[in-house]
Amino acid sequence: MFLTLQTNDKRPLYQQITDGIKSLIAGGELREGASLPSVRQVAGDLGVNLNTVAVAYRQLQDEGFVTVRHGAGAVIAARNPGRIDQAELLPPLRTVLTQFILAGLTTHEIEVAVRQQLSLLQQKGGAQ
Amino acid sequence: MTAPTEFEWMILSSALLIFVAIVFGLVKYLWNQPLRNGPSYFLGIEVPAGFYEGPGKSWLKSYRAMLIALHLALAVFFGICFAIRRWDLIPLCGFWALLYVASMLAFHAWTRHKLGTNLPVRAVAIAMESRRLSDYIYWPLEALSASIIALSWGLLLHHDGMHIDWLPPLQMTWMALVLPAKILLARSGSPLPAERTEEHFKYQDAMRRNGISYLNIWSWGCLVLLFGVALGRNCSPAVLPWLGWLVGGVFLAVFAYMMIVIFSGIRLAATLGRDLRPTGSFATPFRRAALPKMRRSYLIWFAVWIVPILASSVYAVIR
Repeated sequence: MFLTLQTNDKRPLYQQITDGIKSLIAGGELREGASLPSVRQVAGDLGVNLNTVAVAYRQLQDEGFVTVRHGAGAVIAARNPGRIDQAELLPPLRTVLTQFILAGLTTHEIEVAVRQQLSLLQQKGGAQ
Repeated sequence: MTAPTEFEWMILSSALLIFVAIVFGLVKYLWNQPLRNGPSYFLGIEVPAGFYEGPGKSWLKSYRAMLIALHLALAVFFGICFAIRRWDLIPLCGFWALLYVASMLAFHAWTRHKLGTNLPVRAVAIAMESRRLSDYIYWPLEALSASIIALSWGLLLHHDGMHIDWLPPLQMTWMALVLPAKILLARSGSPLPAERTEEHFKYQDAMRRNGISYLNIWSWGCLVLLFGVALGRNCSPAVLPWLGWLVGGVFLAVFAYMMIVIFSGIRLAATLGRDLRPTGSFATPFRRAALPKMRRSYLIWFAVWIVPILASSVYAVIR
């Protein structure tokens, strides 16, 4: 399984890594208990500073997606869908939808894009 | 002028094997190396359509002229050694290896300078699977090789007042110490293009495993020699000629195996990577194009490792 990073993405690299790993978890490619590669490996392969990857892993740990075990490194934590209140998830969704509207997309186009992305996630298998 | 001893026969046979293998490698792989990724590339660098009908002709000619000059230099060196029957000079062909690596690196650098590096890719991918050292390095075998070194030195140090030339065992021990290079290779990686990622991943992994296999076999060749020398210092003179041939035979077998592994590795890499965009040859916002693929840390290790070997080879000849 691969983490893909777009080179023209405006998000900071650590954010791309965080979001990319979350997407792999959502798609069921990274399941509970799976080990993530070490910070050194990811940083070395990408050719970026160790801190960039460490920040991404720390963010995943803070958000409860990853646990760090001594000797095993970063491991995907058990998913707890009820843990996050749906109300907490709405503001970022609204922000994204606002960007779509400001970019000039019609309601239909936005719906198609959302369905497409959702189906992509589900195709990877395991999305609940 | 004397007939070669068992040890010199070993060097002589190895030199001949090396030469045959090098010529085979030249004809079979190196000659068309710039085209290994297809006509859209020259030594892994993207070139415009029709390049090989235009300026590509002279680039190819220069590359091949460099190869011929390098190989002729080696042939002349071996020829001189044979003509003056100075078998002891043969280990100095290590300098040729250095010259070869330096020339290839310089040619790659010049190519990149003149033809430019590949355009950045729009998306890169990295594998999210842990790459553990134990996936590439078999630690029990490393422990065994360390034990053989310890045992050999134990035998050498407990000789019965016999004169020992310490230089060859020191050289062989140093030459066998390639574990840092294996660790560096196992840890090395570069971003993969987002298209055909799985194939790129397999290719990169095959290259990594190839490099580690070469180092393993090289190290075992040196260990066989070291152990043979240590045994030779501790056995009766009557057994010595037999031991010489036995060690020589095992060494040559290891050497022949090394050649088979190297060429099958090259063939596998050529098959896997034939029509792939050369990994590490394109820039990303995170890292510069990394052609030639040797990383800085690997080059530093190589310099630290090769300099004492070359210096001691020169000392062995002039002392």
